[in-house]
Amino acid sequence: MNLIKLEFLKLKNKTRTWLGPILVFWLIMIAYPLTVEFLKDKLEIGFYSVLWIAILISMMLATEDIFLEDFNDGALEQIMLQTSSYSLLVSLKVFTYWIFIGFPVSVLSFLMSFGTSENLTASLMVFPLSIISSYIFLNLFVMGNALSLNKGSVLGAIVSMPLALPVLIVLGKSMTAIQLGINYPGFIFLLLGCLSIIIVTVPIVVSFIVKAHLE
Amino acid sequence: MNTDPSVIAKKISYKINDNKLFHDLSFCLNKGKALHICGDNGSGKSTLIRIILGITKQTKGELEISSTKGISYLGHKNAIKNYLSVEDNILLMQLHNHKDLNRYIEILNLKKYLDVLVANLSFGQQKKLALLRIFLNNSDIIILDEPFVGLDNETQKTLSNFLNEQLENNKILIFTSHISCEINSEALNIS
Repeated sequence: MNLIKLEFLKLKNKTRTWLGPILVFWLIMIAYPLTVEFLKDKLEIGFYSVLWIAILISMMLATEDIFLEDFNDGALEQIMLQTSSYSLLVSLKVFTYWIFIGFPVSVLSFLMSFGTSENLTASLMVFPLSIISSYIFLNLFVMGNALSLNKGSVLGAIVSMPLALPVLIVLGKSMTAIQLGINYPGFIFLLLGCLSIIIVTVPIVVSFIVKAHLE
Repeated sequence: MNTDPSVIAKKISYKINDNKLFHDLSFCLNKGKALHICGDNGSGKSTLIRIILGITKQTKGELEISSTKGISYLGHKNAIKNYLSVEDNILLMQLHNHKDLNRYIEILNLKKYLDVLVANLSFGQQKKLALLRIFLNNSDIIILDEPFVGLDNETQKTLSNFLNEQLENNKILIFTSHISCEINSEALNIS
């Protein structure tokens, strides 16, 4: 709990780190209607595809300097000396970032979905999908960024992006399921299954990668 | 059970890409002992410290560290956040509830800077803030990499006195320094 509080303290004072990705998400979603004709049915056609890609991009930006600052100022070394479980620290860090960035983006997803479709039921179904997918993307990009810790975040994004593609496919299929009214819980459970694997394995892998970088 | 701290190195070697930094280094430190690692720039002093800390793995040799209260370390990087105030950094170091915090804040002349952003402090003042981690952590092994760099004479003296006190309290000190200091220590030259 103490570690979460300290991560909150840091992130609270790094406005650019959490506000930037949220604003990028918002801008993409605001820009989308400008690229299509203002007809309700046309807006809806591509809306959800743009929504998932916007979440993906905002999560990619969110993790840009998740370890870099601690790596550069020597904080990672201090943490390594004090903390027995480095993977727990990684999990808490990802959770804090999700609270600051992933959750607001998910709420915005719901609001924009409702604003576009005027369908409350469908938008309420989109909300859990956004929550789960943003957490999955965040974990994947954290791993990519850890791998390219001192080589720039673009390389990290390139490494992680292929892992995010199956999730995007499932999200697309989920939207079809919502529109046709079939097996929506199945997709939620599938994503939750992916998340439960990722949430356990990513912090362990990342802790090894970061230790290797320190060495 | 023996709870005294000790650091024992047996024939430690380290090389990077066939370039030997140091070879077959051995030393034994028990309670109340200090080791001053000396050497030219690039001789591997900081690498040896990172090996002792367990961050870097030696290429050969054994290292045994016995400690019940952990290790305090301050290296070239201060591990402080320049976008936070001095007070927030103290909170981040989890030293805010320490009974001696106010005393050391007074000694290090940091009281008037508590609300100031670290980015607005000089290098020496930032170093003083980082030194709180050493002054207030009750570890039984203290490891410092060039601790006197950037400090004024008075703070250098405070730090030397503090470290000598810690040695009297049976702690172990390992440090590198190019600045002469009055610490009763053995020298280990790795040039």
